[in-house]
Amino acid sequence: MSEKDMLMRRLSSAQFAAWEMHIYLDTHPNDRAALMSMRKYEEKARALRAEYEKRFGPIRPTDMYGDTRFEWVKDPWPWDVECPLTLGEVDD
Amino acid sequence: MWMYEKKLQYPVKIARPNPALAKLIASQYGGPDGELGASLRYLSQRFSMPMPELKAILTDIATEELGHLEMVGAIVHQLTRNLTEEEIKKGGFDAYFVDHTTGIYPSSASGVPFTAAYVQSKGDPITDLHEDLAAEQKARTTYDNILRFADDPDVRDPIKFLRQREVVHYQRFGEGLRRLQDKLNDRNFYAFNPSFDKGPVK
Repeated sequence: MSEKDMLMRRLSSAQFAAWEMHIYLDTHPNDRAALMSMRKYEEKARALRAEYEKRFGPIRPTDMYGDTRFEWVKDPWPWDVECPLTLGEVDD
Repeated sequence: MWMYEKKLQYPVKIARPNPALAKLIASQYGGPDGELGASLRYLSQRFSMPMPELKAILTDIATEELGHLEMVGAIVHQLTRNLTEEEIKKGGFDAYFVDHTTGIYPSSASGVPFTAAYVQSKGDPITDLHEDLAAEQKARTTYDNILRFADDPDVRDPIKFLRQREVVHYQRFGEGLRRLQDKLNDRNFYAFNPSFDKGPVK
């Protein structure tokens, strides 16, 4: 697994854990332990997202770390398969 | 409003195309128990929900279903890459191909285009939440049926994730229904629409 995929996997895990607590809290809004747990995972996800975006480009349309190119439009999009035989990563 | 995140909720990376399997999985894009129907069902039902917890759970699950729609689209897209005409024919994908090439179009596995008749929005939260519980189970059954025909671990992995989410959403909707029923007047258990009728007078 590439470093990029690894970091994406860690980010998705943290986001997933936060989201799972989030929807649990919809039907248990007074559960303080769940709220604390959600905040912990949200914090973790925020840090991982910033790290990912700095290295591999924006995940949210308003996040941008580079200043030379509008990074949002860059391939790959989430449904693309990065296959080195047919699709080299565009780097300019 | 919504803001997009340029990532999938769960990774989809499929190495080997398989048009026959793509045709089956496409049903969870625009079929009777698919993710498009799920998201539209919950997004529409939100407006007549009487309690903040119910507005929240419908909004959040509908949002997650949009992410699942994207995942199913990605699976079908990746399963139909670089196909030869021979593979298209052999996989039984030729009928779909004639109409849509390898574009993603919302229809069922048997070819029926997506229709709003797949969803209900009854304006009665008890009725709607029962529909939602059934919808999650129907989607779970569909994913179970897809898994019977999928051998490729690249495909089984994200499908198993999606199947699990149906189980969790079923749980959350059940809690929502329980909270609503706990709050109803004991003389109004099932009898009146709490979003419209005033309930029994004393």
